[in-house]
Formats: sequence, C-alpha cells, structure tokens
Amino acid sequence: MIVAENVCKSFGKLQVLKDVSLTVKKGEVVVIIGPSGSGKSTFLRCLNYLETIDSGYITVDGHPVGKKKLPDGRLVNDSKKNIYRLRSQIGMVFQRFNLFPHLTALENVIEGPVTVYKIPREEAKERGTELLSKVGLADKADSYPSQLSGGQQQRVAIARALAMQPKAMLFDEPTSALDPELVGEVLAVIKDLAREGMTMVVVTHEMGFAREVADRVVFMDEGRILEEDSPQVIFSNPKHPRTREFLSKIL
Amino acid sequence: MQVGPIDVDFLLTILPILLKKGALLTLELTVEAIIFGTIIGLFIALFKISSIKILNLIGGFYTWVIRGIPLLVQLYILYFGFAYIGIQFSPKTAAVLGLSICGGAYIAEIIRAGIQSIDKGQMEAALSLGMSYTQAMRRVILPQAYRRLLPPMGNEFIALMKDTSLVSIISMTELLRQGIILNSTYFRAMEIYLTVGVIYLFMTTLFIYLINRLEKRLAIYDSN
Ligand SMILES: Nc1ncnc2c1ncn2[C@@H]1O[C@H](COP(=O)(O)OP(=O)(O)O)[C@@H](O)[C@H]1O
Ligand SMILES: [Mg+2]
Repeated sequence: MIVAENVCKSFGKLQVLKDVSLTVKKGEVVVIIGPSGSGKSTFLRCLNYLETIDSGYITVDGHPVGKKKLPDGRLVNDSKKNIYRLRSQIGMVFQRFNLFPHLTALENVIEGPVTVYKIPREEAKERGTELLSKVGLADKADSYPSQLSGGQQQRVAIARALAMQPKAMLFDEPTSALDPELVGEVLAVIKDLAREGMTMVVVTHEMGFAREVADRVVFMDEGRILEEDSPQVIFSNPKHPRTREFLSKIL
Repeated sequence: MQVGPIDVDFLLTILPILLKKGALLTLELTVEAIIFGTIIGLFIALFKISSIKILNLIGGFYTWVIRGIPLLVQLYILYFGFAYIGIQFSPKTAAVLGLSICGGAYIAEIIRAGIQSIDKGQMEAALSLGMSYTQAMRRVILPQAYRRLLPPMGNEFIALMKDTSLVSIISMTELLRQGIILNSTYFRAMEIYLTVGVIYLFMTTLFIYLINRLEKRLAIYDSN
C-alpha cells in the first residue's frame, strides 16, 4: 500500500530523514515511536506530499508520490491534479486537530467531499452525519470546534479525514495535545478503524495502544529507522540500545 | 436664527447643496475606492505570500512605492502628469484610480497580515483533504482571515473616506471642493467648513457603526 524507499530529506543543513525505508501493507497498522525531533512528523508529511523529499522514493498504491513515470522510465514531477488526488486518498489527523474553526462539526466533515469531490451538499451531509455518529458525536453536528472538548475535536477531525474515503490514514500524535482523561475516547475510535481493516500509520507515545493495535512498531531516532518489529519484540525485547533507552524513559 | 457665530438659516441653505452635490460623491468615491482597492489589495497580498519569486517582487515593489509616496503627489502625477504626456484622465477617473491604487497598497498589507495570522495547520489540513491551494485559500483561509481583517480594514476604509477630500485638488467636486466653491460665493468659511467637517464626521461614524455590526455578526463561531 505504502512503500518508502531510502527517503532523505533536509531542511537547509539539517538532515531530518536519513534513508528511511518502510513498507505498509494493506490493512496493516504501523506505529512509529521515537523521541521528539527524530523526524516522525516530517516522514508522515512526506507520505502525502506535504513535504517534498530530496532523494529516495515513495509510492502509494503503486503510484509514485509527487512523481510521474515517463514512457522512457524517467521520473518527473507529477501534475498538481494527481497530487491533490493522492492527498484526498490519504487521510491525515494532526496533533492539534486543525479543525476549521469557522465551520460547524458537520460542515468540517463535509468540506472535503463538497469542495474536492463536488458531492452535492445534502448527500454529503447525510454521509457526514453517519460519520459523526460513528465517532460518537451525532449530537454535536452543529457545534463549532470552539464549543467542543479536545477529544471531541479530534474525533471530528478523524471523521473529516474519513469523509474522503481514504485508502490509508496517517495519525501524527493524535492524542498528545489532549488531557489524559480524553485520550481514551480518541484511541477507541482509532482502534475501531484498525479493526475494520483500515491501513494506518500512527505516530504516538501511547505504548499501551501500540501494544494492542500495532501489527508492527517502528522506532525512529535522529532521522533513521533503528528498529522495526512486532510490538511484542519491541516492548519486551528490543534489540537496539537506543530503543531500550527510549522505552525505559517513556514507560 | 443665529447661534454664536453661526447663522442657522444659512446652514440650511448650504446643507442640501453640500449633501447632494458633495457628500453623495464622496460616498461614491469611497465605495468605489474600497471595492477596487480591496480587489487590488487581495491580489497584491496573494502575490506577497506566493511562493513564486517574481510575484513576491511585484507585490513588494507595489507596496513599497505606493506607500512611500504621498497620495497627494500620486494624484498630481495621475491627473496632471499623465495629461502632460497626452493621457488625460477625467477628474473622476483619476480620483477613483488614485484612491484605489493607494488604498490597495495598505489593504494588501492588512490582508497579508491577516492571512499570515491564520495557523499554518489550517492550510495543511485543507491540503491534506486534497484541496488545491486556491480552494484552500477560498474555503478555509480567507473566510477566517476575513473576520480578523475587519477591524483594520474598517480603519483603512475610514482613512480612505477622509482621503477622498484630497481629490478636491484635481477639480473633482466632492464634499470638500463643494465647500470651497460655496465659500468662493459666500465667503463664510467657518460656517461652511464646519458643516463640511460635521458631514464627514457623520459619514465616518456611520461607517464605524456598520463595520461594528458586521463584526458582531461574524463573531459567532469563536464565542463559546
Ligand atoms: N519546516 C521545517 N523547517 C525547518 N526545520 C524543520 C521543519 N519541520 C521540522 N523541522 C526540524 O526537523 C526535525 C524533525 O522534526 P519532526 O519531523 O517534527 O520530528 P518529530 O515529529 O519526530 O518530533 C526537528 O529538528 C525540527 O526542528
Ligand atoms: Mg512530531
């Protein structure tokens, strides 16, 4: 589904991603852990072309991200339209929710389908209402983000991403900005998605969640993937000393 | 009837003239300058935040030049300068042009600051849904910037309204010039210019009132 091969990325002189390679199969849940500043967010953002990469390549569903293969085999920058299509097919959920504050919960959810897919408003509303029920917020359809708790906002944000009927979802520390008592409700929604077979990449510090949901856990440090294994192995018997050190600090 | 230095009967004679043949035009000039100025301002603002270098340069150059030259001088250039090289604008055209170009530069700065005050996460969220840059601007960024823009835009609109008095020097007969004309007949400067001033005050107050109402209407979504 998602293949990243030797991805490198620098901001000026700072190399943030160093030969990052990762494969996510359809229906798989991959959790990325690692210290702050290790490049986790940047890597996620590269996956849907919010950042461009310097070298290496990324494909989603077989299509190179942001690139197009010419008949002679060369890769050139892809058309904007294809990039927009790629992004619409990958849902992204942010640490700070990034809901549109001038729109109600339901309007947030239907904004993508209406603007991008040109789905009639009424039809989008119907589906949007279903999605809000799915995340347990049917009664908040007409509330503005400022009237919702952090946990509720994040669930709306998940519904907003799902409204595009994505093939995969990327979560960037979806619960890090939440008060501890609100973390559970958001993780519950993500677990549901995992159970339904959604392909997901989740950056998180919630190790209990990772242990329970992840098919694989990836440890990133200083722009590199140092270790990648099943949650059992990573949490009980990590091979890399940096992983061990990180886990001892966080658990 | 006489109130201090002011003859009320005289006031009542000049008031209709000042309103009909002056204030109305001032309002018209203001509204046109606001409309064209805002259109210019929006484009220049988008130029300035664009990732395309040449557009940045154009936007930067525009605001630099226009904000650095007094409007009065710009009006002289537009009206007398261009006439000298054979392009004769009518006073009305020169007035609207001058006010819009000048207002546009200030409005551009207001809009740019407004857009840049919107959290970067908003653009990212919009793009991650598959929106184009234009769609994201139109559907997500500008509607939010719009509300924050209102107070400074209101100030700019009021400044523009007052600046319309400058076009009296290019023989555009708006409120101030109507007063000047009346004074050359009656030689009653205090009564005439005081009345002119009060009419400006009335119009600017009306503007402030309208903008405040609009602001309140738009304030719903970020109240808890
Ligand atoms: N737009 C940017 N410009 C410059 N440096 C950046 C930018 N985004 C991230 N970085 C830097 O890249 C490094 C990795 O950041 P990030 O991917 O956010 O890490 P993580 O999500 O693992 O905390 C950090 O040192 C950060 O300061
Ligand atoms: Mg991060």
